[in-house]
Amino acid sequence: MHAQPVNKRLRLSLYVITLSIFFSLAFMISVMIGTMQLSPFEVADSIINPNSDPVARSIVLGYRIPRILFASLTGFVLGVSGGVIQTLTRNPLADPYITGMSSGAALGAAIAFVVPFLPYYAVPIMAFLGGVSMLLLSIFLAKKAGAGPIGFILAGVAVGTFASAILMVVLALASEKSHGILYWLFGSFSTSTWGDLQTASAVSMPAIIFALYKARDLNILLLGEEHAAQLGIDSRRLWLLMLLLSSLAVSACVSFCGIIGFIGLVAPHMVRLTIGSDNRFVLPLAGFTGSLLIVIADNIVRNPLNPIAEMPVGSVTSMIGVPFFVYLLIKKGKSFGM
Amino acid sequence: MACNLVVDGIRVEIGSCKIFDNIEIRVGGGEILAIIGPNGSGKTTLLKCISRTISPVSGEIIVCGRPAREYSNREYSKTVSAMLPQWPSGFSMKSYEIVLMGCRNQSTGVWWEGEKELEVARAALGVLNAMDLYERDFDTLSSGEQRKVLIAKSLAQRTGIILLDEPVAYLDMKHKLEVMTVLRALADMGKTVLVTLHEIDLASKYCENVVVLSEGKVVAAGKPREVITSELLSSVYGVEAVVKWDEEIDYPVIVPKTGRLQRGEISCLM
Repeated sequence: MHAQPVNKRLRLSLYVITLSIFFSLAFMISVMIGTMQLSPFEVADSIINPNSDPVARSIVLGYRIPRILFASLTGFVLGVSGGVIQTLTRNPLADPYITGMSSGAALGAAIAFVVPFLPYYAVPIMAFLGGVSMLLLSIFLAKKAGAGPIGFILAGVAVGTFASAILMVVLALASEKSHGILYWLFGSFSTSTWGDLQTASAVSMPAIIFALYKARDLNILLLGEEHAAQLGIDSRRLWLLMLLLSSLAVSACVSFCGIIGFIGLVAPHMVRLTIGSDNRFVLPLAGFTGSLLIVIADNIVRNPLNPIAEMPVGSVTSMIGVPFFVYLLIKKGKSFGM
Repeated sequence: MACNLVVDGIRVEIGSCKIFDNIEIRVGGGEILAIIGPNGSGKTTLLKCISRTISPVSGEIIVCGRPAREYSNREYSKTVSAMLPQWPSGFSMKSYEIVLMGCRNQSTGVWWEGEKELEVARAALGVLNAMDLYERDFDTLSSGEQRKVLIAKSLAQRTGIILLDEPVAYLDMKHKLEVMTVLRALADMGKTVLVTLHEIDLASKYCENVVVLSEGKVVAAGKPREVITSELLSSVYGVEAVVKWDEEIDYPVIVPKTGRLQRGEISCLM
């Protein structure tokens, strides 16, 4: 920490303070709004006082807080995993969504929905297998073509489109179950429970903590496998381990709430633009930034003017994320070696 | 600290293309060995073999009496450091972040660099007279400045054997001499230094031995004064030049004879 120059520490503190303020605000607003509008006092009362209005109490404790916490967890996992995948592929434009991983996870989950007699936990497992295989396929194709960062994105788009095409076929064939799958594909936190939160965090948090623990070695992986090996890193093993762990963490969250795009791209870049590429700062702060973005998106989704018709949260994050992606391509494309 | 490096008859093929065959090189502690030769003669490939980026098809690289392939990544990183200029970009990094990465091999801290590592990183940049680059973005540096940061990264590894691929390319005259002086001082402290150079005069001045590589073969090896001759420049580089050793300053003077362009195509460029 003492290695950091003064102006970097200043920007770091400012970033953390701003993030905390906005996150607290978003969290509070999120508990207050919905079909039943609550004042801050009612919220506080229902949390602290066991004899308060049972309806408000059940809405706040049984419905809204697990929902916000699950959204925050998902944002954190997507932010950290996005940073990790960008590091592993040495591609600043990589993101679970763009690299075909999310489409693969969706396909895997949809198959698990459709196949009869599968237990409920088959969904996250199939999502994980689908996600990892599609990500590995796009990495393999890009390597085979000897392509740079843009080639990798193209391979990811190709693989993702292919997975989506198969998904459409699955949807069409399983028409009676397609509503459930579609709902999942839209992405939503409206059904999140304390149980979902427990399962998802039990799977994803160890993986995420390990990624944070290895942040310094991940920095060295930014130089590529060969350079990292010369600096004493067991680079091939670390690379594969990190890829599997971050895919596992993403699948664990995404299998409950559905596909949420572009958080993994936007969050790490917001940190990089402020305090540089050091993963020891990028990964944890990208996690918190991801949480903030998703909680905000989830607030937008629960449009207070029409609380019955929720928008899909994945669409909202994509609407924020796509312009940012285009901005990065135009503004920063040159420095990415494209 | 003193460590011998023996390259014992290695053969390298990339794809189906043979880069070189049966290369033999020996360097001991306290010694700088310069590898010179024309572009494309296999100098960089040789360094990549020794740094284990490329594995040879046959032959053996022996480091401190032990075959290089038997080392773990961590052990090897404490024994051999390599400055290979093909540097990946894409993520902007500060110079000091890159130099500190060199310290990773000796580091016990998992998360933060220790006080000792910061000291080493500062010393590595300081000794190259490049402290002013400390907080600069690597991507915004000139080629010569980037070269210095990468050399500092290698020095920060604090290994017994240092490999450098064209460490003085892109540097101006003063900085070329600075870098060579640092390498000389490190060798005098007992390190084993292997450099590829295009600057034949610097090689003769600063290095105990030179190896001349041409078309994947060692065509000459030995003391610079014996190896660098006008016959060699003519046969290896195809350059007619006068080589004169100035006894007073102990430095070779190489004066190329300017030739007239024989090819007629240049008229098309008018």
